[in-house]
Amino acid sequence: MTFVLRMAWREFRSSWTRLLFFFLCVAIGVAAIVALRSVIQEVRETLTREARDLVGADLVVLSGRPWPDEVTPQLAAYLAEPRVLDRMEVVETATMASTEGRAQLIELRAVESGFPYYGTLELQSGRPWSTTLLQGRGLVVQPELLVQLGVAVGDTITLDRQAFTIRDVVVRDRVQGRNGFAFGPRVYIDLAELRATSILTFGSRASFQWFARVQSDEVDALTADLRRDFRRSLVSVRSWRTVEDRLGRNLTLAENYLSLVGFSMVVLGGIGVWSVTRVFIQQKIRSVAVLKCVGASSATVLATYVVQVMGLAAAGSVLGVGIAAAGIAAIPASVVTLAGVTSIGVTWSAALQGMAVGVLVSLLFALVPLLEIRDVKPLMLLRADTAPLAGRRGWRSVSATLLIGAALVMVAVWQAGSIAAGLYVSVGLLAVAAVLAGAAWGLVRVVAPLTRSKRFALRHAVVSLVRPGNQTRVILTAVGLGCFLILGVRALQSNLQEEFSLAVGANAPDLVLFDIQRDQVEGVRTLLKPFLRTVPGQEPPVVPLLPLLRGRVVGVDGARTQLATAEDVRRAGELAREYGITFRMDLADNERLVAGTWWTGPSTDTSGPLDVSIEQRLVDEHAMGLGDRIRIEIAGRVVDARVTSVRKVSWDETQNGGFIFVFRPGPVIERAPHTFVGFLQVNPGADVRGRLQRDVVRAFPNVSVIDVGTVLASVREVVDNATVAITVVGAVTVISGILVLVGAVAMAKFQRTYDAAIYRTLGASSRRLAAMVLIEYGVLGALAGALGAIGALALSWGVATRLFEIAWRPDWQTLVGGVVVTALVVACVGLAASIDIIIRKPLGVLRQG
Amino acid sequence: MIELSEVSRTVTSGAGPLTILHPSSFRIEKGRTVAITGPSGSGKSTLLGLLAGLDTPTTGDVSIDGVNITRLGEEALARLRGEKIGIVFQFFHLLPSLTALENVLVPMELAGVADARARAAALLADVGLTGRGHHYPSQLSGGEQQRVAIARALANDPPILLADEPTGNLDSATGRQVIDLLMRVNRDHGRTLVLVTHDPELAQVADEAIALRDGHVVSQTERA
Repeated sequence: MTFVLRMAWREFRSSWTRLLFFFLCVAIGVAAIVALRSVIQEVRETLTREARDLVGADLVVLSGRPWPDEVTPQLAAYLAEPRVLDRMEVVETATMASTEGRAQLIELRAVESGFPYYGTLELQSGRPWSTTLLQGRGLVVQPELLVQLGVAVGDTITLDRQAFTIRDVVVRDRVQGRNGFAFGPRVYIDLAELRATSILTFGSRASFQWFARVQSDEVDALTADLRRDFRRSLVSVRSWRTVEDRLGRNLTLAENYLSLVGFSMVVLGGIGVWSVTRVFIQQKIRSVAVLKCVGASSATVLATYVVQVMGLAAAGSVLGVGIAAAGIAAIPASVVTLAGVTSIGVTWSAALQGMAVGVLVSLLFALVPLLEIRDVKPLMLLRADTAPLAGRRGWRSVSATLLIGAALVMVAVWQAGSIAAGLYVSVGLLAVAAVLAGAAWGLVRVVAPLTRSKRFALRHAVVSLVRPGNQTRVILTAVGLGCFLILGVRALQSNLQEEFSLAVGANAPDLVLFDIQRDQVEGVRTLLKPFLRTVPGQEPPVVPLLPLLRGRVVGVDGARTQLATAEDVRRAGELAREYGITFRMDLADNERLVAGTWWTGPSTDTSGPLDVSIEQRLVDEHAMGLGDRIRIEIAGRVVDARVTSVRKVSWDETQNGGFIFVFRPGPVIERAPHTFVGFLQVNPGADVRGRLQRDVVRAFPNVSVIDVGTVLASVREVVDNATVAITVVGAVTVISGILVLVGAVAMAKFQRTYDAAIYRTLGASSRRLAAMVLIEYGVLGALAGALGAIGALALSWGVATRLFEIAWRPDWQTLVGGVVVTALVVACVGLAASIDIIIRKPLGVLRQG
Repeated sequence: MIELSEVSRTVTSGAGPLTILHPSSFRIEKGRTVAITGPSGSGKSTLLGLLAGLDTPTTGDVSIDGVNITRLGEEALARLRGEKIGIVFQFFHLLPSLTALENVLVPMELAGVADARARAAALLADVGLTGRGHHYPSQLSGGEQQRVAIARALANDPPILLADEPTGNLDSATGRQVIDLLMRVNRDHGRTLVLVTHDPELAQVADEAIALRDGHVVSQTERA
């Protein structure tokens, strides 16, 4: 062992400049991994925290009616499991609040001590939120209520004939309610005090909820378990990870994207380390032969170079962590805050992972060529024509390659955090690498005739590309794979940003008006008109007021689904819930007809089944279809409906609401009791919403105005944070990816130095040498860039449509720009790496052989 | 004693099998100096490679001190070279990242020789390189590099010294110094010295000359 260490020290001491390069390349690869993983971890934690703030718990179990007997024992057992760390009960219900002369529908949220588990409520008074404020008949209310009832903090209002005192006003409440928006201003009350009233006794519409804090690695599993067991009992389960609204989806997308980028960076860093290790080992072949000649065993030689590679990789990895720390510190604080992250630095786990990958990848890639040391023929020292390595691979080499391949796949699985994803990506990378190797083979054959070109620089550049032992395959593979990942990540980034900007785009409503009576429609329209948001140069919009009925399905007589009684429907689970129903002549902007025909005019029938259009979800989940008959109870009366069309609602763009059932207008449905609801976008401005609320309440006291702008602002904030995070991560990827590739390409210079020295000795001018290098590397860069871009196009398409399920928009600008930049960068790096030999005297190089 | 019996070497090239050394048999007695001569491509270096166990014969056996080295594996051959055979190459083949002294040290370190450093310094002094031990190969002239290579070949005091065109890369004056050095170390220590050479002058000073042409031994001449 001492011999091995001594040799390592001697080699380091004498050729440290050369090793420094190796060392720096490893460091850059590791730095890229560490920096990115650290940023991703911080961003993920922030996003997780924010998403949890919106739910207020890790997991919420909800029931639209008092907990059914068949659910209670099982739910209690689940909540008592050790994976549930804490639990509390919350009830939300709508009730009337009144003062002398005024009454208002409110959304009561009754909570227990400790609510919420995550996030907090900001109070107008500035004091910290605590449920003790609610004790002794206290209330904390949203500001709208003060306007609507004309009261102030300290005043009392009446709920169920009992007086309650308004203790404070909540100005920021991120915990979303049961439906995303409430039926009136939200009012917090103590759960025990709610139970002491009779509000919950008269079959009022209440949502009974259990909030739970769960071991972080058990959230998904518990959610799945609960969902499976309570599928048929009208109990729903949501967690921040599985919120099925737009926000949850965006966060999942952002998280998947970050994982993908993190993994790509590992591969990129790995490519850099691989390219460096390969050259390092090639440079050592002659020394191996000499050592064998003077009596060293293969094991000694192997140990000598494994120790060197490991030492360099470990030191390079440590330096990489340092570079990552410096790089992260260089990210402007303003950008960090924009992403919602409070502080950012290298995380321990990222540092360890980066170092492990650095050492492991170096070792893995060094081992295959090093194992061939066994086959290094010392005879090469006697006969120049002896191949340094035996051509055929022994079983050791083959099994080592297989083992190392398996180890690399395991690294991939570890990094991707999923066996399927790791395998998928590994196979994908292998395929791209195979295509690139094929392209290299093709290139060598296509350009071979140019070796007869009359232009010296072109002829010799091509000779360099096609000669035995050329770098065509290596550079094409490294740069092509690199481009594939960098451009793929970039292209996905722009797709995601586009998607996110649509998500909380300009079309989302700020205010929702409920309970507008039929005779108030015109009055409300007139009142609202001046407040509506207008686009300059466009007609002022018509105030969109939709009729709203509430109904329950009580029977289905369909081709595939038969539910004869209300009890049968109840057993079908979700289908038994109360639905908001509307009738209208036109399809909404966010709807698309997928089957049947849409009506062309109102119905005149006063009897017989009514035409109804159902949403695709009923087809998918309850096997309903065209021609099915559905019985729906609306305000105590059962109407018979026939499905005449199926619509697909784009739930992402619900500026006008989304309805499962839409009826054809006609005398029967229009006679059913209904109110109108309006989804509005009002002019921006601090006081506009407040003024509108005051005006509406004064003119139409029964109408509830709900400001969803504040809820939406929270959502928008989270999504904006995710967008910034994705942009920052994308930028870091591109920069570090380019650095890694620069290292990989520059490393090849050691093989070029000798040739360049010979050309120089034979009288080639510096310009000629430079032209040769530029042509050779330019061609390689352009081809690698082009193949990488095509791969990136495929990657972004595949990931966007299959994995993320978002609309795919090819990002041509990035792709074309990527090819040009790659060709330029590779050509310039090739030139820069050869510059010393182009301008210096060649003798030193020739003497070193 | 080195003994070759019916040793041949055939390689497969693009044009089919090519015999670069036809079956040849001869013995080299202990302590003798033997020059293997012949034009380029006559099979001289191939023969030397077979003697050093750097290559395996296609047919026949090579024995060193009665041990048939043809049957030995790579590891045993490496050990054998470390103990019994010193090799000097035309292109010196010093390890570029090691100093002159360290290049001489390596075989002794591999063999676990005690007091190796002092012996390496003595060997360098013996080849006339006192004070140059800390220089790297790139800082030495061709002749100096070859002398370091000779010192390295002698490091473990091997009974056999093989040299492949040891003066082929040197000017005639330097070449003469190297020949004198090789002869002296051979004479002083009673080693067997096998030289592959083009150099008629070098061939003249050997005890025997084996002439090769087109892979055949065409003559074996004793001089003294």
